[in-house]
Amino acid sequence: MQAHALLSIDREELRPFFERVPELFEAHHLHESQNPDGYEELLYRIYRPYTSGMFDMIDEWMGHGYRNWHSDVEREVMLMLYAIRYPDTLLLESLSDETDLDVKRISGYLHFMKHTYSIWDEDTRKGLAKLGILIPGTDKADPFVYGAYITAIELLKDLAPYYSFIEHDVPRQRLFQAALAAYGRED
Amino acid sequence: MGPTEVVEQYQPNFEAWIDQFNEWQTRIGFDSAWLGDYRFEIKFDWDTAGDTIEFGDFEGMPKWDRRMQVPQQTVCDAIISMVSVQGDTEFASVEQQWHLLESAPTEYDRKSAMRIMCEEQRHGWQMAYVLCNYFGDHGVREAQKLLERNSSANPVRGEDDRPRLLGSFNEPIDHWLDFFMFTHFIDRDGKFQLKMLSTSSFKPLAASMGPMLKEESFHLGTGANGIRRIVTQGTIPCALIQKYVNKWVSTGLDLFGVDESTSATWAYVYGIKGRYDEREATVPADRDHLNEESRAHYFDELNLEMERINARRKEGQSALFIPSDKFNRSVGKFHGKKHDLHGTPFEGSDEEWKEYLDSVLPNDDDEAALQEYFKEEWIQYREWKE
Repeated sequence: MQAHALLSIDREELRPFFERVPELFEAHHLHESQNPDGYEELLYRIYRPYTSGMFDMIDEWMGHGYRNWHSDVEREVMLMLYAIRYPDTLLLESLSDETDLDVKRISGYLHFMKHTYSIWDEDTRKGLAKLGILIPGTDKADPFVYGAYITAIELLKDLAPYYSFIEHDVPRQRLFQAALAAYGRED
Repeated sequence: MGPTEVVEQYQPNFEAWIDQFNEWQTRIGFDSAWLGDYRFEIKFDWDTAGDTIEFGDFEGMPKWDRRMQVPQQTVCDAIISMVSVQGDTEFASVEQQWHLLESAPTEYDRKSAMRIMCEEQRHGWQMAYVLCNYFGDHGVREAQKLLERNSSANPVRGEDDRPRLLGSFNEPIDHWLDFFMFTHFIDRDGKFQLKMLSTSSFKPLAASMGPMLKEESFHLGTGANGIRRIVTQGTIPCALIQKYVNKWVSTGLDLFGVDESTSATWAYVYGIKGRYDEREATVPADRDHLNEESRAHYFDELNLEMERINARRKEGQSALFIPSDKFNRSVGKFHGKKHDLHGTPFEGSDEEWKEYLDSVLPNDDDEAALQEYFKEEWIQYREWKE
């Protein structure tokens, strides 16, 4: 996936974005709608052993509604979260249909429990599209679509010059995902 | 030895250096098994290196790709010196820090420190590679010296070892509070040095800096974040933390070198080492005060970072502050002069000055108190995420 992206990506097209990563990150992450303090608190408050309460905290920060999950479903998701290793996403396919996970919700759990997985966000997807990286839209936690999404962000992280990396207490995946979201929202 | 054997046993210079590096790891006590699947790579970012010399007397000419293009031997010697000093610090910090791995407060901190040590060694490799591949026998000899000197702070140090080139890299890092101070204050100086070399007229040196800067940002982030976590937890009183701030800030300021430095001026004239904000600067460089200017940028950044750290303070804890740049200096115009933490000249006797230093820098009682705090939950917990 990454080798393919390296061959087809237009590095010149990335340059204006890379130059603006710090400013774009601040525009998105530090916006009050993103509750940056709440985000940073979650970096510390989510740790093993995972609990329902941790799901609740993530849901609250992400702005998700109540999870109408049977306890078996919750256990299934939790086991998946223990087992999954970045950058694998195929494990998402092992979840039963009853789980009916949306990609935004599961990406939030993955992000705060692993940090290396990126939060799924429509604006971020648009930002990637502006850079020539087309990721199909989806509501479902499709392992291939979400896999392409996180790999694209990882690739940008690898290609970015040093001046894109600001000193901030957030994982680098969040730095780029947030910058892409702000970039995607621009006309 | 026949010609076939000579060919068979020939090792390219950098390959031979790698063997010496492996011996260095063993000699200093660093177990190579700790690296796991980490592999040292030579990384260049040619895109950000630039094609044209950006400042100095050769400005506007093409950057030098090879030694033979460097116009004078003095310029070549200055480049070798810059690369050697940078490489020296990379290996020194590993010698200073590896012994802390077994006492890490959390798995997150242990793995963060391990990542830092892996990357510092990679930076040392990068500098050795530049020396061996671009500067012939002279470069090879300097690359060997990177492994012959040894931090005075290294717990495994032979009597014949020579100390590392810069003061901070011979200071003991006895515990994790010192580790976070070092990564916050001293690695931040490293960021400044790398950025100043990122515009270098010697292109392989400039191109080495981009990947190193990317990695360095994690190192100093670990330091700043570590201090914030300690302050957030509130177990160690800020008054005690302040003493360690006082200790490390002055040595960080010293790393920028003497005031009115002629070697900094020549490095600028040759286009080897620019200002911290060389590409953004809108005014011509004051070539006689280059170190002072870089130091002032660093000092401003320390003050800004301290505001972020103070924002995490628990109620009742005193505010942390960056001591005056005149305090306790060993290099520059304030060397040997007595100024208090706020920069006011100290009027007392030598004996009173000694007492004052004892009250504002860590002493044996402080170290003992710190060891007691380390038995408690002294730093905000953070999980290492696989």
